[in-house]
Amino acid sequence: MQNNSLFLIIKRMRTPMYVLVVTFSISILGMVLIPGQTPDGQTYHLTFFDAFYFVSYMATTIGFGESPYAFTYPQKLWVGFCIYLTVIGWFYAIGAIITLVQDKVLAAQIALAQFQRKVRKMEDPFIIFVGYNSLTRRIIDHLAKDGIRSVVIEKNDEKIKELSLQDYTIEVPALSGDIRNPEVFKIAGIHKANCRAVVSLFNDDVMNLHVALSAKLMNKHVTVVVEATQEEYGQNLKTIGADIVENPFKIVAKRIYLSLTSPSLLMIEQWLYGDPLVLRKKDRLPREGKYIVCGYGRMGQALEVGLKRAGIDYIFIEASPEKAAKARRGEKVIVGDADDKKILLKADIQEASCIIAATKDDLLNLSIIMAAKRINPDIYTVARENHLADSVVFKAAKIDRVIMLETLMINKTYNVLARPLADRFIRLISYRGESWGEKTVKLLKEKINNNPDTREMKVDEESAYAVAMMMKEKEGVKVPYEVLQRRRDDWRKHNPLMILYIRRGEEEILLPDATEVMIEMGDEVLFAGTKEAFEDAEYIMQNLYELHYAFYGEEYEISWKHRLGVA
Amino acid sequence: MNLEKVISGFFIILALTLNFGFFYGDPTILEQHNRYELFAAIIVNLIATIYKLGDKTQLGAVLLATSLVADIQLIGAASIWALGEYVTGLNTETITAIISFSGGALLANIISVVLFTGDVLKSKR
Repeated sequence: MQNNSLFLIIKRMRTPMYVLVVTFSISILGMVLIPGQTPDGQTYHLTFFDAFYFVSYMATTIGFGESPYAFTYPQKLWVGFCIYLTVIGWFYAIGAIITLVQDKVLAAQIALAQFQRKVRKMEDPFIIFVGYNSLTRRIIDHLAKDGIRSVVIEKNDEKIKELSLQDYTIEVPALSGDIRNPEVFKIAGIHKANCRAVVSLFNDDVMNLHVALSAKLMNKHVTVVVEATQEEYGQNLKTIGADIVENPFKIVAKRIYLSLTSPSLLMIEQWLYGDPLVLRKKDRLPREGKYIVCGYGRMGQALEVGLKRAGIDYIFIEASPEKAAKARRGEKVIVGDADDKKILLKADIQEASCIIAATKDDLLNLSIIMAAKRINPDIYTVARENHLADSVVFKAAKIDRVIMLETLMINKTYNVLARPLADRFIRLISYRGESWGEKTVKLLKEKINNNPDTREMKVDEESAYAVAMMMKEKEGVKVPYEVLQRRRDDWRKHNPLMILYIRRGEEEILLPDATEVMIEMGDEVLFAGTKEAFEDAEYIMQNLYELHYAFYGEEYEISWKHRLGVA
Repeated sequence: MNLEKVISGFFIILALTLNFGFFYGDPTILEQHNRYELFAAIIVNLIATIYKLGDKTQLGAVLLATSLVADIQLIGAASIWALGEYVTGLNTETITAIISFSGGALLANIISVVLFTGDVLKSKR
């Protein structure tokens, strides 16, 4: 496979090489056989070396003149013939080389060989992205900043060119290929031990299913992250073993539900997705009154679940009668264009407290919002934005809340890939209720600051060298997590550091009491705090002297005898 | 009958026979070795080499290797000849060097022909 480009060159160059060898040999032989004359009139024959030398510079049109002596007429006749013979042969060979260089098949083979070499050389963990679009571009960008490497498989060569123009901090190798061919996955390195995950975020659920299936069959240990917007595909994907199935509409529905029932949990969730730990006033959805949801598609159906659970009164407006017919009995669905004033009035827009424009058409969503505001200026507006490119218009429209599906997917996928503990934490807290959320937010703000950072760490021999050493040397010594919170300049004082979540094998500890939970090797820990606090904690975990000081409150002294091994 | 096999067999065997024709004779007497025969041997060897290029099979690789060896040996012989004639002068030492180089090429050519006929015998069609 890897030498394909070389073989291609050799095979194409065979005919030009024949032509060169034959024309050269005919010319050389003729030059040797035809007798010449020295200046003093004696007959002589060119030697093979003379002839080879002469033909070489004649054929390449360098032309150093007649050697060793001026030629006789029979010789000149032969040379005249040879010039056309060899020069044409030579030009033909050069032409063949140039065509070969421009050949698309060869260029593709060379690109493939380069890609394979890059993947083979990759030693850090990497993630395979199937399809390069605005979504995956942003995720790759985020991951690159964290130092996680990515490999892209893309069918469209234009998009690969676009990728090569992006200046990522780490190189992102791209392979041009169709994933319907399983060979492509193999080339992208799915069998490599450091291939961490395969990500497929196509709009097309069938495509995602296909990717998940082939990826899992090729390497069952690899994590598969796919998007599924329809329930039946989501189920299929889970049965074939896709590890993380993302449904952006479900996330939206959950967020709507959270903001209605427990805003502080929503606040924590958004904070872990990278937003500041505050809930703006406009983030609060009105709890009273009727909701009008425009569009009864995938998003409308997801919203229905969220609104119903939150006990909100709602009504749907759907343009397509087929979609409206899918609604369960008892659901209120008005058939008609949602940006039509009459239809809006029919849905009691004057009385409604909130309108959600949830169609897949950005322009339609905007015009719905504009029409609704004209009738009822106080209404709370929520709009779905489908394409990142439209964000300027959406900003200008002064909508209370814009649901950006692409951004949601970007943040979610980034969390899944780079911050798995935060992702798990979000899932665990969603059933804790508002009072738990409020308490946690208060704790975070009191102990740390208004916008804490988070950090994920795995406790093992490498990252917690000092702790491992101490546990090995002294039997029965256990270090509580609280030690990590102590300051390195004064062990009695504490750094702004909190432990949100510990995963210990199957066991999961949410907001542990740091004084009681002991550090164990293999723990995965999600911290919240400041960057300086993380740095201190890392020092304490790794440096035996720092750990000793933080733990016992005194300097670690090794006697000279002990150090010299005399003791 | 496969025309491809006829042509490739022709060049491979002709390379051997021409090589042998040049090699045969007293290794110290240059007059017993024809310069035109060496030239022909080099050209036919080169053509045989190009013929073997681009064959990705195991046998093709070994055949190509033997051919390249023969080329290098024969071109080496021709270079020594030119060197002897124009620079150092033709003495017995250079003459034997020329002939023994072509002898080495002969061995490579013999291996090439043996492999080729072996492959032909092995095939059922």
